[in-house]
Amino acid sequence: MNGQNKRARKGTLAGPAAPLDRVLALASPYNSSLLLLIVFFLVTMVGLFVIRDLHATNVEAQKMYAGSVQGLQRIGELQYEVQETRRSTFYALTTNDSNLQLEYADQSREADRLVNEGISEYLRQARMPHEIEVGRRLQLDWSGYLGVRNEVLASILEGSTKEAVNLDLKGGVPSFERVRQDLQEIKRLYDEQASQQLANVAATSRRTIFRLIGVLGITLALASASVWAIQRSKMLGAIQLAKLQMEFVASVSHELRTPLAVISSAADNIADGLVGGKDQLKRYGSAIQNQCRQITELVNQILLFASTKEGKNRYTLRPLQVSRIIDAVLDNTAELVQEIGFVIERRIESGLPCVMGDLSALSQCLQNLIVNAVKYSGESRWIGIRAFVHDSEERSCKEIRITVQDRGMGIDRLEMPHIFEPFYRGAAVMAAQIHGTGLGLSLAKSIAEAMGGTLSVVSELAVGSIFTLHLPIVEKQESEMASVTSKPDPSIRT
Amino acid sequence: MRRIAGLLFILASAAFSIAALSLESAPNASSLPEPQIASEQNLAVVVNLSNPVQNLSMPELRRIFLGERSHWPNGRRITLVMMEPGQPERAVVLRDICQMNETDFNNHFLHGVFTGEVLVSPKTLATPVGVRKFVFNVPGAIGYLRVLDLDPSVKAIRIDERGPEDKGYRLHVPPRSSK
Repeated sequence: MNGQNKRARKGTLAGPAAPLDRVLALASPYNSSLLLLIVFFLVTMVGLFVIRDLHATNVEAQKMYAGSVQGLQRIGELQYEVQETRRSTFYALTTNDSNLQLEYADQSREADRLVNEGISEYLRQARMPHEIEVGRRLQLDWSGYLGVRNEVLASILEGSTKEAVNLDLKGGVPSFERVRQDLQEIKRLYDEQASQQLANVAATSRRTIFRLIGVLGITLALASASVWAIQRSKMLGAIQLAKLQMEFVASVSHELRTPLAVISSAADNIADGLVGGKDQLKRYGSAIQNQCRQITELVNQILLFASTKEGKNRYTLRPLQVSRIIDAVLDNTAELVQEIGFVIERRIESGLPCVMGDLSALSQCLQNLIVNAVKYSGESRWIGIRAFVHDSEERSCKEIRITVQDRGMGIDRLEMPHIFEPFYRGAAVMAAQIHGTGLGLSLAKSIAEAMGGTLSVVSELAVGSIFTLHLPIVEKQESEMASVTSKPDPSIRT
Repeated sequence: MRRIAGLLFILASAAFSIAALSLESAPNASSLPEPQIASEQNLAVVVNLSNPVQNLSMPELRRIFLGERSHWPNGRRITLVMMEPGQPERAVVLRDICQMNETDFNNHFLHGVFTGEVLVSPKTLATPVGVRKFVFNVPGAIGYLRVLDLDPSVKAIRIDERGPEDKGYRLHVPPRSSK
């Protein structure tokens, strides 16, 4: 059986994807979440890079606008005001009306005030030595031109038009040309800056596009891998389930065949008249009775498991005394235990508080644990049952713990995560040809969780196992009520 | 006779009443301010800030305002600025500096330009603001402004060692009408 199982498992995992399948099988119920988490993490990481790039592009564009574009705009305005200063001075030449000439002089002075403000602003924002140098040169050249402009204005107002024109030609034109060249130089600097920043923006944009393509590619690849892995995992799960179900059917058939063979043989003997005497007949009847009980228990387990899976079980929770539960379980298993000569060491703390639960279900749960202990104890033939109060770290409150300990074969570390899975049977168990359905622990765990508790296990190969049922403690008042109304419950006999 | 005496009495009473009333309504002579002219009503003669001249005598000022002097000591050409005819400031300058009326002043310049005796022909501006701006813009300009119209863009010179705020300053202009 074990060899077949191994062969079947090897057959399932054969092929080039076998190592990956092993990984997927190990990660089994979590693989899809794990893969999605990895995808999410990777995409988030690359996405953060893309966001950083976009931010850098944005900052670069803003810097370009604040620096070069606005600078060019300011230089444009400055050029206009410089021209306006000169233009207004010339307008004054076109009239003999002193009042009008004064108005033009005012306009020229207003424009020159704006130019001075613009130059000061430029110098305030200039950072590079060359920018500062050009700015200072412009300031100097502009002052030189204004000196000539003032003389020209004075001449115009005095009425000496010819002198004004001569002054302008001699001093105004060259100084104004210098100012114009300075402004061109500043404009060229801004142009260079803008070109540089534009190149930076373009480079950052290109990088962002590449990264975006990368993100999309990675996302697509990982998503495809995830889908493939999930499908593969589901397929493996389905194969595993089918295998388990086949094993279950085989196991149940085997479990049924033995008592049925006994019953059939006994019935044949009685029918053939081979059984003589009242005592012999009684012995045959007792054997048939025992085998029927085994079959009934087996069928009950299967039905209970089916109803648990379908969620049909309705438990009646009420406060129960721990000693009463354990007594009921020991009563139920007394015959089995005594038959094979097991010793049960029972240690129950005195004055234990009540637990909330369904007596029948809890009895079934503990009974499964005891039956398992009997099955897997080997030659030790010893079972320890303890009940005590413990401070639960997880729940940060006190809880009742009922442990069922054996000194049997123990459980392999690798099999520990799977022992509570339905139909699961360990390799060592199969090798030892210990019969079972693989439902006992699964049922016990389901019941423990339905009672608001948990089921845990500590085990070591060739040393033994300790299964612990953790149950929440009932409030004091309810506990007192339970102790008053406590009486034997017929339902505990399952 | 009695009638005459009665008439005289009535006249005397009436005269007394009128005298009493006039004394009552008139301000107390002892409380009157000194018959001083407020400095705001003085007329300042102004030049460009770059002009080194600080003081001029009245005869020098007269020569300048009559166009008989062409240059300042620093070599700058003198440009005379006058306000339009009819302005009280112009009237004060004509009366107190040029000692001419409008017609004589105009004739003087017409004749002077024709004969070449007058070297500077005055510029005429409409408002005190225009005068101030002109003097500010032209280094050799000279004009006049009420003390109220002065600002730091021009310089007021002293006349016969008296500034426009000094006692005994000679150029006074009537207050502007309040309309």
